[in-house]
Amino acid sequence: MNKFTKELVNLYADKLLIGLTQEENDLILKEFDIIDSEMALINDIPNIKEVEPMTHALDDFSYTLREDIKEESIPIEELLQNCDRYEDREIEVPLVVGGE
Amino acid sequence: MNKTIEELHELLKSGKVTSEELVKEALQKSHEINEKYNAFVTIMDDAKGGEVSDNYLSGIPYGIKDNYSTKGILSTGSSNTLKDYVPFFSATAVVNLEKNGAIPVNKTALDEFGMGGTGLTAHTGPVFNPWDKERMAGGSSAGSAVGVASGVYPYALGSDTGDSTRKPAAFCGIVGYKPTYGMISRYGLFPFASSLDHCSCFTRSVKDAAIVVDAMKGIDKYDQTSWDSSKMHLYDSIDGNVKGKKLFYIKEIANLENYPEASSELKMHLNNFHEKINLLKEEGVEIDEVSIDKNLLRAIPSVYICLSCAEATSNMSNLTGIIFGPRGEGKNYMEMMKDHRTKGFSPLIKRRFVIGSYILQKENQERYFINAQRVRRLIVDKMKELFKTYDGLILPVSTGAAPYINGSKDEITNDDTSILEEHLQIGNFGGFPSITIPCGFINNLPVGLNITGNCYDDINVLNLAYALESKMDYKNQIAKEVK
Repeated sequence: MNKFTKELVNLYADKLLIGLTQEENDLILKEFDIIDSEMALINDIPNIKEVEPMTHALDDFSYTLREDIKEESIPIEELLQNCDRYEDREIEVPLVVGGE
Repeated sequence: MNKTIEELHELLKSGKVTSEELVKEALQKSHEINEKYNAFVTIMDDAKGGEVSDNYLSGIPYGIKDNYSTKGILSTGSSNTLKDYVPFFSATAVVNLEKNGAIPVNKTALDEFGMGGTGLTAHTGPVFNPWDKERMAGGSSAGSAVGVASGVYPYALGSDTGDSTRKPAAFCGIVGYKPTYGMISRYGLFPFASSLDHCSCFTRSVKDAAIVVDAMKGIDKYDQTSWDSSKMHLYDSIDGNVKGKKLFYIKEIANLENYPEASSELKMHLNNFHEKINLLKEEGVEIDEVSIDKNLLRAIPSVYICLSCAEATSNMSNLTGIIFGPRGEGKNYMEMMKDHRTKGFSPLIKRRFVIGSYILQKENQERYFINAQRVRRLIVDKMKELFKTYDGLILPVSTGAAPYINGSKDEITNDDTSILEEHLQIGNFGGFPSITIPCGFINNLPVGLNITGNCYDDINVLNLAYALESKMDYKNQIAKEVK
């Protein structure tokens, strides 16, 4: 485990494609200190490693696969109404491959 | 609109009022209340009255939290990243209400994407408490709580990932109910932390909450975690007979001795709680004090933050501004996405995302994410063990009345009262049915208590809440400014 540092905060923010102010960076470290100290207590709980992690709210879901029935799809023109830049039926983005 | 659903239905059926009149009144009040408390993102001025049938909700207006998708109607999640987003489908819960003849009149403001507990981070600005404008309404479902408390309509939809319905309900003096996880489909609810997210509602009476959830619920092929509750009739099952039922409260949370430096408000709040639970004893309910390992309880807020931030980081990675949302500026698509996300997200959720990303890194997962999931199981197992003996857990909500807006930061803390402030998260860890009802006033401001029961035992929880509500004078109260 790496200690959470100002540089790491910026690194992870960058991975998330989020820019932070210095104030936001400082606050993350302050809040994380509290989480870290509480999680340290958790690591002291006897046999914690033997507990099965609980990944969801209920343990008794019964999953059933949907019938394989063809459903009407949404027209692309309708979906593009929420897109700022498109041409015909395609989303417009800057050139990704090639170019300069 | 200051009446319960049951009362409005009687008026509609007898012809003393029409649905059109109710909708008009709700729209007019929506504008008045929005002017004062900034509670709504969209007011649907073209809403019309509907047909009145034997269905309790037919022809009656209601509000929808703005993180439910509504076809053809702006649905922003109170985020700048979706400020112009108009969905092409409606959430299943909304569709189910429509089938019952319910009429939406506004979309309500929330903490951005439900990630906050203050109601102060919506892209439309802070939501104010209708009892005292200097105080918060609580979050995240702030606008829905304000709409119901102010008498715009008798009910509104909320969502609840940590306490986002049950805490604002307490701060606004109304009922907030989240049923067992999966009873209401989450299809069309903007995901925050999928393993903790619940659909929920606000009303001004327990029976009204049962009516609303009866209409919202049902198995849904679009939500694999939903389950068949067709044999569960919540409203019809409430009879108020609670003799012989057993409740417990947690000593380390509810007793004054845990707080050596308690404020006078906290003292009044806890004393009021103990007084009010005595009313249930008069109805033949046994109430025991139970002690739980304080280390486990202290872990609740951090476990919640670890799990919810990690899940949110993943769920919200689709917010890029490329295929929907306002397009960011930049020379290439990476720069565009970064610009969109940096400008679009509020500082609070940016912080949460970075924490989520950090704890999900391979080298950190075991210490934070996996251990949080382990503690989640320990807490849930402890509750389930107690639910073998008891019908439910009863506790005060928060440390008192709604906090002042000025000085509020929505930061993570670990002071003495953090367990009291955050214990409702237990209900999300285990998917437990959980209801907050108003239980009195402190300095003229409302406070609430909460009853939580075992999964699928919603009827028991509602019945206990109804029995207690019937012994107090806070049913169907409308907020009036005290300051």
